[in-house]
Amino acid sequence: MALTGRLGLLALLGAIVPLFAPEWWALFAVWGALLLGVLADLALAGNVRALRFHRAGDKNVRLGESAQVSLIVENLGRRRLKARLRDVWPPSAGATPRMVRVDVPAGERRRVEMTLTPTRRGDRKAVTVVVRSVGPLGLAARQLSRAAPWTVRALPAFPSRRHLPAKLARLRELTGAHVTLIRGRGTEFDSLREYVDGDDVRSIDWRATARRNDIVVRTWRPERDRRIYLVLDTGRTSAGRVGDIPRLDCSMDAALLLGALASRAGDRVDLLAYDRRVRTRVEGASRTDLLPAMVHAMAPLEPELIECDAAGMVSTLMARVRQRCLVVLLTELNAAALEEGLLPLLPQLTARHLVMIAAVSDPRVGEMAAGRGDLASVYDAAAAERARAERRHLTAELRGHGVEVVDAPPDEIAPALADAYLALKAAGRL
Amino acid sequence: MVTQTAPQGSSQGAQGPAEPSARQVAGRRWRSARGVVAALLAMVVVAVILAALRPSTSPDALDPTSPKPDGSRALVEILRQHGTQVTVARHANDAVNQARPDTVIVVTRTERLTNEDLVLLSNVQANLLLVQPTSFALADLAPRVREDYPGPVEADAPGCSLQAATLAGAVTLHEAMTYEVTGPGTECYGTKYGGARLVQVQNGANTVTVLGSRGPLTNRRLTEQGNAALSMNLAAGSGSSVVWLIPDLPKTGSGAGQKSLGDLLPFGTKLFFLELIVAVLLVALWRARRLGPVVAEALPVVVRSAETVEGRARLYRAGHARDRASDALRSGARERLVPLLGLPRGRAQDPSAAQEIVTAVARRTPYDEPYVGAALYGPPPVDDAGLIALSDVLDDLERQVRQS
Repeated sequence: MALTGRLGLLALLGAIVPLFAPEWWALFAVWGALLLGVLADLALAGNVRALRFHRAGDKNVRLGESAQVSLIVENLGRRRLKARLRDVWPPSAGATPRMVRVDVPAGERRRVEMTLTPTRRGDRKAVTVVVRSVGPLGLAARQLSRAAPWTVRALPAFPSRRHLPAKLARLRELTGAHVTLIRGRGTEFDSLREYVDGDDVRSIDWRATARRNDIVVRTWRPERDRRIYLVLDTGRTSAGRVGDIPRLDCSMDAALLLGALASRAGDRVDLLAYDRRVRTRVEGASRTDLLPAMVHAMAPLEPELIECDAAGMVSTLMARVRQRCLVVLLTELNAAALEEGLLPLLPQLTARHLVMIAAVSDPRVGEMAAGRGDLASVYDAAAAERARAERRHLTAELRGHGVEVVDAPPDEIAPALADAYLALKAAGRL
Repeated sequence: MVTQTAPQGSSQGAQGPAEPSARQVAGRRWRSARGVVAALLAMVVVAVILAALRPSTSPDALDPTSPKPDGSRALVEILRQHGTQVTVARHANDAVNQARPDTVIVVTRTERLTNEDLVLLSNVQANLLLVQPTSFALADLAPRVREDYPGPVEADAPGCSLQAATLAGAVTLHEAMTYEVTGPGTECYGTKYGGARLVQVQNGANTVTVLGSRGPLTNRRLTEQGNAALSMNLAAGSGSSVVWLIPDLPKTGSGAGQKSLGDLLPFGTKLFFLELIVAVLLVALWRARRLGPVVAEALPVVVRSAETVEGRARLYRAGHARDRASDALRSGARERLVPLLGLPRGRAQDPSAAQEIVTAVARRTPYDEPYVGAALYGPPPVDDAGLIALSDVLDDLERQVRQS
């Protein structure tokens, strides 16, 4: 039940009555009239209890785009229902319109279209549906709140997918599957074919040439079916915002580009998100559903404000992967976190796997380092130089352990990581 | 994960939706509230103007012992010199006790008279001169005289047959009230809009004279035109003695003072307020019922990635750590210079390669070796200006090497 402003206004007007008839009965008459009106409204308002709600529409939406979710209102009562309806979603779901008027005749259904534009990644659950049906006098209303469950998952935006065609073109160049039929580079033997002008004489297979009358060359191709293990660090260092985006989101973007590229290149890609425990895992996904599986696994991930447990991460990795693979660790080059956590364990990891660390650098540090003029800017510049020196030192130390380090600002990290992967592939180091 | 910080906006200033500044917020509040403020100001102004327009009365106005401008001591003294016996009464009882049939009771400050006093005065066997009476006093003491409206200030001929007025001629009557008489009576000093400022009626055996202005009786205006004559004629014209009644303030607790506000309010007004309360309650209930709940949501934490670097910069500044700051700036500059000079990167932080770097830099810039050496490896600056100068020198070296 809900009252309306009209009831308050009538009660206000009713205050004039005792001025003309200063008796108790006049006041009681006013109250009685108002009460009668309220009761009549409650009795005659459309029956909200006879409503049933159904949902249909999108379950996934890429962050930054809009999803359509329909709410179907079914009136099982015997009377027509005219009501105001609010479909309640969390604020970050960006649901519009906030309130709609519905008019559902008895026994019929009406569809309410909601447009959701989530402002953050993750699952957005519908909270409830509230219906308020005002009686014919407009003095009181019946109100009901009923759950109509639905979840819309806001997936990572994957803005770096625009880099994918260029990286795939480079990949085709490497594999020799390019339309120009340039011989592929690589270390894995592919096939024998006849020599044509321009082929490298070093690739002539003399044994095969001797068996035939033609000169035969060996062709090579990059290795296939290698394993790539993407590890997302969801610990405290991933919560820091670079620009206005958490570092974790930049890492996800880079991981998605690398995953898409590597699965096209014929490698197996797995994903692990870890801080003190396994947050999410994608293993053994086929080439076609790798990307959807990764995107869905990443969607609900949020940075946790705890220190990443490097030992646990390494042991999880070692237990899961026996064969040699490329471990891509997406984290931050934080001296304190890495020196105490990961560095002592690196030899253990590099002994079996090839390790690559991808870190998002903050352009703000570069801006601070370039600051000059007044005292505050010069101290800022000094602190920024100090931070850069620490980062350089850490990078050198990691490279000393045989770790590949990719350190790039947020808008370049994804292509930089893809390039590093392609370079490894071209060099046959996978 | 669970913090109260907004996910966007505050972190980088220019990025995200701009938050309104304090000035904008204040402006918005002012625009929404200015109507109310203007209404309140207008009410205050109107109240002040009304209070200023109301004629003020000092405590001893028309007091026969007061020599102040609005006192009446001059008139009383003149009356006494002319042989009229003037008695001052501070209470209606005294006035009634001292009154004889030919006495004139000058009734002033009638707003201080209680209902009992008015009943006493209306039954007294004496002539009354009412000086600017209240409407209550007028109704009891001169029932046939009706109050009209405040008349204009003008001094003109009496225009009546009343001897006291015709003898006095023109008078000045400030802030005068005008009256109308129903039935027989004399009206003097009429205005052109109707109504008279001096009226006289017969109330039984008594003569009741009503004067609409205090002016002629006060010390200040007694000498103007015929004021003195009018006052003396009215007060002592017929009789031999005058009782000047100037009542004290009635004692608190007597009569109407015991009633509370609730007793004085009509019953209908009480019901009106009760109904108002009910209406406010109903409006509150209307506003209190929301269309659906308020949805709480866990917001992500906002930590700027460069926060530690900024914090360190502020610590340097707070501690005047010029040595560390200059060290960091120099090593950063060397790190960028070394590849430009064609030297291995590792030399940048190697103290033994200092001379090599200084020589190489000096060769590619117009500066000599001691200058370059002081810039790249010198002692820390002694003051803040020195640190700023050092940063500029390092920039200059880097630029020169880059361009050479």
